[in-house]
Amino acid sequence: MNWKNVAHLIRVDMKSGRLLRGRRLTKYRESRLFTYLLYGGALTLGLAVGAIAGFIYNGISNVTDPQLMSLFHKGLLDLFLSLPTLVLIYSMVFTMMQQIQRSGVKLSVQAPYWLPITWEEHTLASILANLLGFLLVSIIFIGSAIIVLSIFIGSVAYAALTFFAMLASAFMASAITELFRILQVRFIGAVYKSSGRAAVWVRFAGSLLFFIVFYIVYFFLTSGAGAIAFVQTVASAQGAMWFIPFVWLGMALTSFINGLPLQTLIFLTLSLLFILSLFYAAVILNRRLGLYEPPAITVSRGVYAPRTGFLGKLGFSTVEAALIRKDLKAFTRRRELMYIFVLPIVILIMPLVQSLGATGASMPTGASLPLFALVFLMPGALIAMSMGNLIIGEEGAAMWRIYSAPISAKSLVKSKYFFIVFFSALVTTVTGIIGAAAFHPSVRAILIGSTESFLLMFALGAVSLTNGIKGADFTELPRPRMMRPLWGLINLIACFVVGIAILIPFIPYALSFVPFVSTRPTIDLYQAVVISAVIAVVIALVAYRMALRNARELLTKAEM
Amino acid sequence: MWLLMSANYMSSVELKDVAKRYGEISAVDNVDLSVKPGEIFGLLGPNGSGKSTTLKMLLGLVQPDMGSVEVLGINVEKDPIAVKRQVGYVPESPRLYEFLTGIEYLDFIGDIYGVRTEEKRERINEYLKALELKGREGDMISSYSEGMKQKVALISAFIHRPRLLILDEPLSGLDPRSARIVKDLLHELKAQGVTTLMSTHILEIAQALCGRIAIMYQGRLLALGTMDELRQRASMPGSDLEDIFLKLTGTGDIKAVVEELLK
Repeated sequence: MNWKNVAHLIRVDMKSGRLLRGRRLTKYRESRLFTYLLYGGALTLGLAVGAIAGFIYNGISNVTDPQLMSLFHKGLLDLFLSLPTLVLIYSMVFTMMQQIQRSGVKLSVQAPYWLPITWEEHTLASILANLLGFLLVSIIFIGSAIIVLSIFIGSVAYAALTFFAMLASAFMASAITELFRILQVRFIGAVYKSSGRAAVWVRFAGSLLFFIVFYIVYFFLTSGAGAIAFVQTVASAQGAMWFIPFVWLGMALTSFINGLPLQTLIFLTLSLLFILSLFYAAVILNRRLGLYEPPAITVSRGVYAPRTGFLGKLGFSTVEAALIRKDLKAFTRRRELMYIFVLPIVILIMPLVQSLGATGASMPTGASLPLFALVFLMPGALIAMSMGNLIIGEEGAAMWRIYSAPISAKSLVKSKYFFIVFFSALVTTVTGIIGAAAFHPSVRAILIGSTESFLLMFALGAVSLTNGIKGADFTELPRPRMMRPLWGLINLIACFVVGIAILIPFIPYALSFVPFVSTRPTIDLYQAVVISAVIAVVIALVAYRMALRNARELLTKAEM
Repeated sequence: MWLLMSANYMSSVELKDVAKRYGEISAVDNVDLSVKPGEIFGLLGPNGSGKSTTLKMLLGLVQPDMGSVEVLGINVEKDPIAVKRQVGYVPESPRLYEFLTGIEYLDFIGDIYGVRTEEKRERINEYLKALELKGREGDMISSYSEGMKQKVALISAFIHRPRLLILDEPLSGLDPRSARIVKDLLHELKAQGVTTLMSTHILEIAQALCGRIAIMYQGRLLALGTMDELRQRASMPGSDLEDIFLKLTGTGDIKAVVEELLK
């Protein structure tokens, strides 16, 4: 193993983050001071927090009953015990999220196979690079804090071993992520390159399923009651799960605290062997699939029959219908556009898991209406906002086709706007049905909720489309940008203001749900809907006209 | 058969005293250019000479600071859509919608240009067969090679039977057979009155295909004419286009550069 090569590769991997941050790649300057400051800051903060906790511990131990103190001490050691497993879990979540975020960039920093670098070096560099940043910062913070605290509680060796176990767990997690990444290139990559109608839906459903599972697990682990129960389970049930290699580090700690040096050594050795086997598995997979180019698989062919279809009957011209059909394919086939569906999934899963999954109890009646409003109003509004933001920029480098084809500004805006509203309505209908089934709102709440949801969609769709045209970024390398960050921010603020403006008539009513606020609604709910509708329609009309003007400008100022 | 209406214009492309500046840089500097109907016209020039800006102006994608641009008798600034409807365009390294299959992409293009369903199907099949894409039309464009993508881009320029073809490096990445088919097709279309305006860096192609050639340099039109006229202009009888091009654009110090590199 040439460690210099590993260090060089880690630096390359770290620098690939520049592509994510969207900095200008010319005249690039970066201060390393900030990077080191981050780790130094985490260390300093960890030392300080550990010292404060230690002084508090000393203070308590002087005035508290020794029996109670011994229980407290045991609780602290249990917390140490659960740290490696917790680090393993959040490292896995974090490194995998990082992989999702960097999937496009990874392609542009592919292994330079013609250089004298071994696959061992490539793999190690990739695993270590994944740990840098937030993950290492958090481990340094926790590790330094527990080591200082351990001086006060008299368990320095135990804390040092815990720190080592945390680092090993993070490495283990990153190695697993590396394994998944390679396999993903092989299998999901192949599916993504496959063709045929069935393949399209396999990809779409597969991606949505991945997000649903990912977020259910994520929210279950991070929601308050679930997390506490989980730490307790990890601490107490580790022994029962000794045969699972992932808990061997925790087992080593348990053995150490129980004064069993031989068992400690065995579990530590087993853990290291397991980590090595994960690493070599990743090396072997990288050697076989590191430069793998997935073939195009034809899942189903079928006879393609061009048609004008239903959209023609709705009054869309051939050009507009073609654009809408093309966008439908884009949003169900392009990975980066499919991520848009993560928003409604998160909004739906978050309250559902919190209300049902984590506590195992049903939601109290009073609390269900705001949650229902969240599930009903937010997904469609957010989809409208994000789609409008991206729907022009998503054309990317293929925008030359729109520029050079006989597509008028009117046709462009009409088709894109219809698509935004159509998709937002579809998403709202689905989330609304699930929300209604979960929270049992009244018929009146459903009626008002759906009306407001549609009003938000129409207005926010028009506003975000206007901004999306103005701020479109057609850069595709190293990954599709779609929207200039400044315009993304402008859109966010504009949509927030518009959303508030449309919902303002309901504020007196909403206040009645806030504890300790005695205000009662001074406006009839149906009157509020009418006022809200007038505001939404005016905003939508004005924004649509602005979108037309922006589209005219876009089509005559091509940036190919 | 490419059925054309009788042309009611004298020039397919008419640029009069056209200029375009980007800040301090003069991208196009007082260019006058006229391309006759049924002509294959070559627009040559080193990188950054103003060719792309000129081509963009023809499609109404860039507004000139001064002068007028007429394409097929239509003022581009006044009615860009009418111009685009009758033009087939292939940009340099065209990016296609990679999430569509080849046939879906061509179907989309057919719809955009309003080609009737039956005609569209017939033409797509003809071109797919001719350019040997048959059998791969159901695959995602993302799985195509660069040459296959270029073929799809070319078909998409021909599918609506335009009166004017604007092609930027049209033969880039094509296999010899397909390149020959495209060249022959352009000759046939010329006979049917279709005008082709092409830009290329492969000077042999320009020499073999184009009736007249314009050489641009630093936004200006350095020379314009047939091969014989260009030879005369450069005072290089019997020379090929490469030598003429290098002499006119002042980039003929190749030998000195190579010698310097070998030191």
